[in-house]
Amino acid sequence: MRRTAAALLGALLATLVIAGAVLGLAGPSPTQAATQAATQAATQAASGQDEDRRVVRVGTEGTYPPFTYREGSGEDDLTGYDIDVIEAVADEAGWDLEFVESQFDAIFAALDSGRIDVIANQISFNPERDARYALSEPYTYSQGVIVTRSDDDSITSLDDLEGVTTAQSSTSNWAEIAREAGADVQTVEGFAPAAELLAQGRVDAIVNDNIAVLDYLNTSGSDEIKIAGEAGDEGSEQVLAFRKEDQALAEEANAALDALREDGTLAEISESYFRADVSVPDGGDADLSGGREGRTTWEAVQDTAWPMFVAMVKITIPLTVVSFAIGLVLAVAVALARISRSRVLAGLARAFVSIIRGTPLLVQLFIVFFGLGQIGIRLDPFVAATIALSLNVAGYASEVVRSAILSVPKGQFEAATTIGLDYRQTLRRIVFPQAARTAVPPLSNTLLSLTKDTSLASTVLLTELFRVAQVSAGANGQYLALYSVAAVYYWVLCTILSVAQTRLEKRLDRYVA
Amino acid sequence: MSADRDSPGPTPPHADPTKETPLAADETPRIRVEGLTKAFGDNRVLKGIDLTAAAGTSTVVIGPSGSGKTTVLRSLNVLDQPDAGLVAIDDVAIDFATLPPGRAGRAQVARLRAQSGMVFQSHHLFPHKSVLENVIEGPVVAQGRPREEAVADARQLLAQVGLTDKEDEHPFQLSGGQQQRVGIARALALKPQVVLFDEPTSALDPELVGEVLAVIRDLAEQGWTTVIVTHEIRFAEQVADQVLFLDGGVIVERGPAAQVIGDPQVERTQQFLQRILAP
Repeated sequence: MRRTAAALLGALLATLVIAGAVLGLAGPSPTQAATQAATQAATQAASGQDEDRRVVRVGTEGTYPPFTYREGSGEDDLTGYDIDVIEAVADEAGWDLEFVESQFDAIFAALDSGRIDVIANQISFNPERDARYALSEPYTYSQGVIVTRSDDDSITSLDDLEGVTTAQSSTSNWAEIAREAGADVQTVEGFAPAAELLAQGRVDAIVNDNIAVLDYLNTSGSDEIKIAGEAGDEGSEQVLAFRKEDQALAEEANAALDALREDGTLAEISESYFRADVSVPDGGDADLSGGREGRTTWEAVQDTAWPMFVAMVKITIPLTVVSFAIGLVLAVAVALARISRSRVLAGLARAFVSIIRGTPLLVQLFIVFFGLGQIGIRLDPFVAATIALSLNVAGYASEVVRSAILSVPKGQFEAATTIGLDYRQTLRRIVFPQAARTAVPPLSNTLLSLTKDTSLASTVLLTELFRVAQVSAGANGQYLALYSVAAVYYWVLCTILSVAQTRLEKRLDRYVA
Repeated sequence: MSADRDSPGPTPPHADPTKETPLAADETPRIRVEGLTKAFGDNRVLKGIDLTAAAGTSTVVIGPSGSGKTTVLRSLNVLDQPDAGLVAIDDVAIDFATLPPGRAGRAQVARLRAQSGMVFQSHHLFPHKSVLENVIEGPVVAQGRPREEAVADARQLLAQVGLTDKEDEHPFQLSGGQQQRVGIARALALKPQVVLFDEPTSALDPELVGEVLAVIRDLAEQGWTTVIVTHEIRFAEQVADQVLFLDGGVIVERGPAAQVIGDPQVERTQQFLQRILAP
């Protein structure tokens, strides 16, 4: 049985490598391709000689062009206005940077729980944030605007937003402005998805800062949406956010920003992205000629297919295998506790199963990653995802294991008892081999679900298969193509597992007449 | 087959058929059961069972269904735990009224169990193991005997039950009678003091009953101590040194086969035998 399992695993990996090689033909070669982690490691190693330099971890979306995004894919680093600014600040202040990509909705939680030290992500100044965090002085000044479909002239000011649906990042202060104007706010991640929803007619308007909108219009070439009016007369100011206790870091950042403003570096960075200086108030209108180049669908797929494959092999598959293995061991323990004579054990096992099955996996994942982080248990994203997924597998699989054990005829237990086997020997030698036959089909379902559920780990800073697609699609707007490629990868993986399941079932059925 | 087993001794005559067979003072019985009671919920299945069996004898238990005869058998290896009473096989005895709970009690039960082997009504062979593996599982895994020795013994036992060429087959490849004979070899492989048979032919097609009964008859002749629950009255007559007729959780009549089956003294025994033997 062990040899067959190894052979199947080998076949699975071989198939995936071939599939990946075919998809990656037009893209960068395997040796060129590197994950962000490897790049970071190299960066750290290169600057390692300077021992006194402080390592500052920067939280940023990576999906919010032109401020923070990935150009191309794979080895290409994060880039964007905010990235260039924080890198310039780091140079000036003598920091080493380590970038941590996070969805915007989770970014303050990451700061609070100490996973990152600073947010460089167009964080707008507001009094609540000022009270809670140590904020730097502004490095961007922007003006809120209202965006609508090009053929819609019914919305031109905040007054027109009453009862209208808008798409916003939930924690941005544009969402607050839209809400105050009476809009029904739909939460999205970043401006590109919001623009997509607007173009598709799923929402009626977006309130956002002019810079992001102009950049989007510039790079997408979209004529489906337009700037329809100003969102009030107040501009907003974007700042770096540190934890309150890191006031010293904020002051270092301020000194660096002053110096960079003085020597024209900030203006230079701004011009390179916006053809306007947005680092000072009223920096003027952007010149929209030229701009960054968009990528075609085929280019986007070519660019992203290989990094997605790498992420699948390096993160998605290991996460699935490790979580399933640990989960299965836990499941057997929980199942045995549930059928044990001890009422305490049985009760604990029942409670565990009830909690795992009665709460969403996403919530469990957030509790392990963000929740425990807040009380000082800071787990690596992979470890946190493994814990959450293992516990989840254990919760579901324990019921499968329990019913499989109970499906073995009582006479088998009795026969084992009368030939002198103890409980442990009876389970291992007599019951489990027979229970496996009953358990394999439902356990395979658990494994397939797990394989797909690993995509949820994208929400806890783990750059697995789906996260790569998400980041890339966020940068180039190729949602349909890239999410479809991701779907194909998952489907191929699950199909291979299904074939393995069929063969295993056949093998386990061989002693049944 | 084994030199250390006593040959079946003559069964002493007895006056009262419901009272236990008296034993000579110097004769230690192989099996001793005193005052056994057992209830499943409100259903009192055993209401005080006493019995003794000398080494090398065959004890056949008959009675209508629900009489408690299978429970008596399953009390001897504690597959069903009696509420009170004493079970002793050789020098291993348990008084169930005072059996400590938990680990200590379980250890005592395991010691008593190791004294017997059991043949089940529907064989309960391990379907994922070959015939040979089924037979050596107990000796090797539970008793820790060397594998080669256990295999040699197992082959001898398989020859004895007429399955020499079947050791690599799996149970599903065998007929019902062959499966039951493997079950017998598996029980004998433990070298138990007592072999328990729980209706060993009840689940078999009629034409397969004979081969299994023949094997059991051989064992009795070789001096194994057996306790057999069965409905095969003619077979009981042939092999039994003593027959117990159970009804309603008590032993209604006991004695040699010639008496209990051939010339029953108690009316309930007569009625039962008439029903079961009438064409």
